[in-house]
Amino acid sequence: MSEAPTRGRSTDAKVVGGALVLLGVFALAEARRLHALRTQMVAGAVVGDDTFPMIVGLALLLLGATALVARLPSVKVTFPEGIPRARMLWGMGILVAYWIVMPHLGYTGGTALVSTGLYRTLGGYRWPVSVLQGAISTGLLYLFFRVWLLEPLPTGWLGF
Amino acid sequence: MAVLGSLLGTLVGVLPGLGPTAAIAILFPLTTVLQPVPATIMLSAIYYGAMYGGSTTAILLNIPGEVASVPTCLDGYPMAQQGRGGVALGISAVGSFFAGIVGVVALTFFAPFLADQALRFGPPEYFGLMVLAFTVVASLSGGSLVKGLSMAMLGYFVSLIGLGPSTAEPRFTFDWAPLMGGVDLIALVVGLFAISEVFLGVEEARVAIATEIRNVFPSLADLRQSFPAILRGTGIGFFLGLLPGCAPGVTVFMAYDAEKKLARHPERFGKGAIEGVAAPESANNATSSAGFIPLLGLGIPASAPLAVLLGGLLVYGLQPGPLLFQKNPDFVWTVIASFYIGNVILLILNLPLIGMWVWLTRLPYGILGPAILLLSFLGAYSVRNSMFDVAVSLVFGLVGYFLRKYQWPLAPLLLAFILGPLLEKYLIQSLSMSGGDPSIFFRRGISLALILGAAVLLVTSIALVRYTSRRVRQETAEEMAL
Repeated sequence: MSEAPTRGRSTDAKVVGGALVLLGVFALAEARRLHALRTQMVAGAVVGDDTFPMIVGLALLLLGATALVARLPSVKVTFPEGIPRARMLWGMGILVAYWIVMPHLGYTGGTALVSTGLYRTLGGYRWPVSVLQGAISTGLLYLFFRVWLLEPLPTGWLGF
Repeated sequence: MAVLGSLLGTLVGVLPGLGPTAAIAILFPLTTVLQPVPATIMLSAIYYGAMYGGSTTAILLNIPGEVASVPTCLDGYPMAQQGRGGVALGISAVGSFFAGIVGVVALTFFAPFLADQALRFGPPEYFGLMVLAFTVVASLSGGSLVKGLSMAMLGYFVSLIGLGPSTAEPRFTFDWAPLMGGVDLIALVVGLFAISEVFLGVEEARVAIATEIRNVFPSLADLRQSFPAILRGTGIGFFLGLLPGCAPGVTVFMAYDAEKKLARHPERFGKGAIEGVAAPESANNATSSAGFIPLLGLGIPASAPLAVLLGGLLVYGLQPGPLLFQKNPDFVWTVIASFYIGNVILLILNLPLIGMWVWLTRLPYGILGPAILLLSFLGAYSVRNSMFDVAVSLVFGLVGYFLRKYQWPLAPLLLAFILGPLLEKYLIQSLSMSGGDPSIFFRRGISLALILGAAVLLVTSIALVRYTSRRVRQETAEEMAL
């Protein structure tokens, strides 16, 4: 929930509008490429793989332009500062690190490290508590995904 | 599966700030390892459980997980402040149970009718159905149709990534192998609704609130006072819920307003009137149950959680629509039977175990947040054992966070992502049948009726959304996505 919206040309509408226009141009370019392919491959077909990229591309262009110029309902948004902001940035960074290291360290090593980091940064717990919570989480998730659901989790260099 | 789903759904639904959509998004990946029937039963039970769990946080903590819980806060929280939180939870459980059972009975009788229509449906009729389904975007758009349509087109664009349906030519892939398989629905859902939810929770520094619950069993006098409200709420919620696109967020306010207008002492409302909890909670569950009729019968989801459920059915290899009732009768009847069991289980779970749910609402976010992130990460990975899907969920988690902050509605994005490929498929098939003549959609009775119905629904949806947005602002002085 946030404050009641007011109407105006807001930054978010400009960013979203601009992104939609770019995507629209991209979709139309792709539609053109696919159209040329279709006419070579399936002679006489009225519709094909290019039809919806063209429709969606046109719609994106139109809506993007509308978002750029129209006065849409907008809300005043404040972003967190200080500790909450640091926690969020650390949290996202740790998730990206998890994505990078899990194929190499495997599920157990990667999850133990990352969950400890998450409890430390997002939860603000002391290191010993975070390590304990990380170990418990890693064990429980292993039981859940590997033992119960039989998911083949990455094993990495360590082999587990 | 119904027991486990109800338990898990309630467990996640009661966590402060997590609405039913986030709850289903977090738990959705776990169902994909199951066979279609148990998976659907479990996902449906998660939905029921999460819907009920949402009312617990609304009553005890004054935190509506979704807009459908706002009216429950209005009288439920004052009841909790007066020491009658247990009674409010009890009456909410009774009303939800009654309304849920009514909805499931109606679904039972409606199912054979839909099965009879199955053979009349060809590609043009399915195309009409998809057009009808797309009108739901209007009711999921919140305060701005332009924002809703923009998000829908963004979702449609993402759904186009992968191989084209007619020639299998790669689209929007840059010849990069991971993109050939397209964007996975579960990765998208987990990112948009689960990961973004955690970052919003961290930002808001959600805290646990101590609440004492003594007795959850309403007295005879409470039941007598609430029963007419439960009946009216069920009626309003059910009949409006049959309209494709009429979400619980709309019917709960109608039920609450009707109760207030009919009351001898309307001044009691907003100060802890038990009817103010009974009516919207019954309407909420009646609409949720009735929503299964357009969902299973026509493939049209009325709300964001049902859109995730629709995605689930597609992931399990089941195509909702009249043919589902004819091709997979065992599936349909087993799932409907499980709805009865699920409703009974929810009543059993929620009345005696309320102490446990209340305890869960006190779990610190410092534990919940990391746990949800880990579960989401591994859930996104486990569907296709792909780190690419994890990357997709992280990217959409970030995008979802900013879109939610600026109130760009996410439900139309999800709906278009799910329905977009079907719309494309049926358009191509229909025009291939007619040799490219688009009048095929207007020459066939059912197809024409569906397209006209879509136009009527669009107008109705816009009117209902305006009414609901105004009521939300009146009651909370705030804006919420529907």
